[in-house]
Amino acid sequence: MLFLSFFLYLSIYLSIYLSIYLSIYLFVFLQMFLSQKTNEEISKLLADYGIKHGPIVDSTRKLYEKKLEKAMETSPVKPSSDKTYYREEEEEVTFITYRNPVKHEGNADMLKRRGNVEPDEDEESDQDTEPPIQMTNRAANHRAVRSREPVRKSGGGIWKVIRLLLLLAVLAAVVYYIYCHMVNRNENPFGNQNQ
Amino acid sequence: MSTTSQKHRDFVAEPMGDKSVTALSGIGETLGRKLEDQGFDKAYTVLGQFLLLRKDTELFVEWLKDATGANTRQATSCAQCMKEWCDAFL
Repeated sequence: MLFLSFFLYLSIYLSIYLSIYLSIYLFVFLQMFLSQKTNEEISKLLADYGIKHGPIVDSTRKLYEKKLEKAMETSPVKPSSDKTYYREEEEEVTFITYRNPVKHEGNADMLKRRGNVEPDEDEESDQDTEPPIQMTNRAANHRAVRSREPVRKSGGGIWKVIRLLLLLAVLAAVVYYIYCHMVNRNENPFGNQNQ
Repeated sequence: MSTTSQKHRDFVAEPMGDKSVTALSGIGETLGRKLEDQGFDKAYTVLGQFLLLRKDTELFVEWLKDATGANTRQATSCAQCMKEWCDAFL
């Protein structure tokens, strides 16, 4: 009985201390980890988490660090499917290379027919260039959507473990509290009986 | 945000040119001084920050609150002002 109670007591204390220590340590670590990164690494991380961002400079960096921190808290695990991200980036690149020749053609046409019907040609060249632009937009949207999905699915990781530990600690504390009361109740009648 | 202040309308009505940072709606003397201390002395420097944040009003509001201690109403007013100015003149 004594051994059992001692064991229970020890395990409860250990779990409480461990969970609190771990959560504090991880929180500090996350902040340190972000503030020590270079601007480029921050922007890469933001892209990984599907956060649209502007240039990372001194005046914007702090804000983006905060945003990234929030994103990491809600979905701490990096999207493991980096393949999709890179593949779609390649797609964008191909669109860009595809756009250039179209532009050249438009320019060539304009050079050839110069002076005849200028406004029409302008419209034509606009029509030529517009669809690829829309395509790139779509590709970008796809990337954002796809990179977000895995994040949400895999959400949890470290923070889930911490939450679980905290929950365990609270549960353990409650159990311990109840146990203490039980022991007291048990002890009192004994004491009365003895007296 | 349906009603806008006179300051807001004045700012959005014309190019900002060389206007001081206090010409922005939501930025009074106190907040203006805090911004000036950080190097944001003209309205166009604040516009620069707004543009760096990709015209994201949410982030801009957060930045303004952090940098000057502005309240949500002031920061939102300034962000709205910036956004509308950009829509009109950029």
